[in-house]
Amino acid sequence: MNIEEKTPIIVVKDLAARFGENVVFEGVSFKVYKGEVLVIVGASGCGKSTLLRIMIGLQKPYAGQVLYQGMDITRAEEKDLHQYWQNIGVLFQAGALFSSMTIKENIELPLQEYTDLDPVTINTIIKMKLGMVNLAGYENYHPSELSGGMKKRAGIARAMALDPRVLFFDELSAGLDPVTAAELDDLIIKTEEALGTTMVIVTHELESIYKIAHRVLMLDKEAKGIIAEGKPLELKERATDPRVKSFFLRKKPVTPEEQRFYVN
Amino acid sequence: MKTQTQEDCSERYNISFNREDLSLFIHLSGHFGLKNLMVFKSDINREVSKQKLQSITIDFSEVCYLDSAAALAFIQIEKEAASKSIKCRLINLNDESKGIFSVIYEDALNQRPLKSLQYHDDFIRQVGQSSLDIARDFVNFVTFIGELLIALLYIIRHPKTLRGKDVLFYIQRAGVEGLPIVALIGALIGLIIAFMSFLQLKQVGANIYVPALVSFAMVRELGPIMTAILVAGRSGSAFAAEIGTMVVNEEVDALHTMGFDPIRFLAVPKVLATVIVVPILTIYADLFGIIGGMVIGVTSLDLTIKTYITQSIKTIQVFDIVTSLIKAAVFAALIASIGCQRGFQVRSGAQDVGKFTTSAVVAAIFMIVVADSIFAIMLYYIKQ
Repeated sequence: MNIEEKTPIIVVKDLAARFGENVVFEGVSFKVYKGEVLVIVGASGCGKSTLLRIMIGLQKPYAGQVLYQGMDITRAEEKDLHQYWQNIGVLFQAGALFSSMTIKENIELPLQEYTDLDPVTINTIIKMKLGMVNLAGYENYHPSELSGGMKKRAGIARAMALDPRVLFFDELSAGLDPVTAAELDDLIIKTEEALGTTMVIVTHELESIYKIAHRVLMLDKEAKGIIAEGKPLELKERATDPRVKSFFLRKKPVTPEEQRFYVN
Repeated sequence: MKTQTQEDCSERYNISFNREDLSLFIHLSGHFGLKNLMVFKSDINREVSKQKLQSITIDFSEVCYLDSAAALAFIQIEKEAASKSIKCRLINLNDESKGIFSVIYEDALNQRPLKSLQYHDDFIRQVGQSSLDIARDFVNFVTFIGELLIALLYIIRHPKTLRGKDVLFYIQRAGVEGLPIVALIGALIGLIIAFMSFLQLKQVGANIYVPALVSFAMVRELGPIMTAILVAGRSGSAFAAEIGTMVVNEEVDALHTMGFDPIRFLAVPKVLATVIVVPILTIYADLFGIIGGMVIGVTSLDLTIKTYITQSIKTIQVFDIVTSLIKAAVFAALIASIGCQRGFQVRSGAQDVGKFTTSAVVAAIFMIVVADSIFAIMLYYIKQ
């Protein structure tokens, strides 16, 4: 995929976030291009989830802008934010399915709220979405009756209910076994290829990153910002920054004390 | 292939129909999605059903936006045509549209739900089910009380295992923070009783009995019961919600695996704190009830503060105060243990927490009234 030819759909400019006096990150700028899968990585506590929440419009940054098609969503009015939320889909860490509702009712909710479709059409659309995430037939199940992977897939079906232009995933494969995680990766690839949906994903799974990411963005806690950006394999092979290297090689960085032993 | 940028694809669409003998040519251009789904579907259906056809051709060459719902609609149009043995072709699809069509699976659309929705059982079944539930609930509660007593005994033998800080915290929560509302309700109740009895007693010139009536009613019945109902609403519900949320978050399981007895850890401090605090709150409520009555006594009955107080004190016996305090302590034990037990009954989800919190308050108030009736009968025989 040639990124240069693509148009940016989300532009993040000089974003800064703080918790009280604590600076989480500063001066974060990047672009999300139409149709790409952008993966955000970084150690725990580096502000990945905060960044995602700001991009979704759930949290206000300390400074900076997030532009979606020219609209700054960090300063948007409630009405415009609602417009934005209709154009994006979010999969939260634990799925965030409403436990009192069946899977069907969960997916039905955005369709009833934002469209004027009749119940028969809504029903068919739900069946189609369930088919897309490989959960055909599960409409009357409650979230508590599904396994972790199924919940995630049902969450994706709900996030995709309105055919969003951008999908956000928080901790995509957290708490899933490798097989289920791989299935989820395949689903992401298939969805991206078929529908051309732009995706922003936070994950730690190296294998998924190599498989699904077009581009990787690495945040660092100490640097309080982005320390690397590029294609995953290129980062793995060519990165010189020890922090980036250690992440992609799955090794703890060598400390100066340990360095002594490597001299010869 | 057209690029689909937002700028060159406004949310407008156009459909033109061309009829040649028995074939219909439909040319689409513009935006086809969730927003205009109903309109374009009915446009096309109307045109198709106008007269007999043999074939339909739908041209997608100028479609600039197509979402999965719209693609689904075209598949349905195609299927409907097929059922009337009309040949339907979708032509000039660009790669992006083809991609969208590729993720719509016929099997999924025809898949019957793997589980049917549960409908309500018939009346007899419901009655049976609720009787079983009540019985199970009762057994559950008795078991819980047993476990609570075992935990209490353990703490009496090993006083160091008591979580003193927690007890103080809940004394603060259930007691100190409840003082204003208990005082207010107590005073208002005293005021109401004084006012109502004054309206009746003044007809027979027995105004002097108003203080007696107020203090007797407050100390014997209303003080303990009003305080208990307030505490059930404030703290019983809070206990259930707190423990319930901990169950949902697997915190209770964590306690188990770390070798703590959740009942000793979570329920005992709450029960102890409540049992300590409710009698004190009751005395407080009694006092404010008498003060509330005094407001009416002094302003409307021409009684002096001194007479009112002496009249009040004359009526109340030490026996009444002691039984009132015992009652309050029993109510407190009921409220706190029901609250905790309901919390532990939560299994999963936010809905369960709400359900059992409500049930904690309702069951506590019910048990308070039942216990109060038992006390009334017991005290009648004891006093004889």
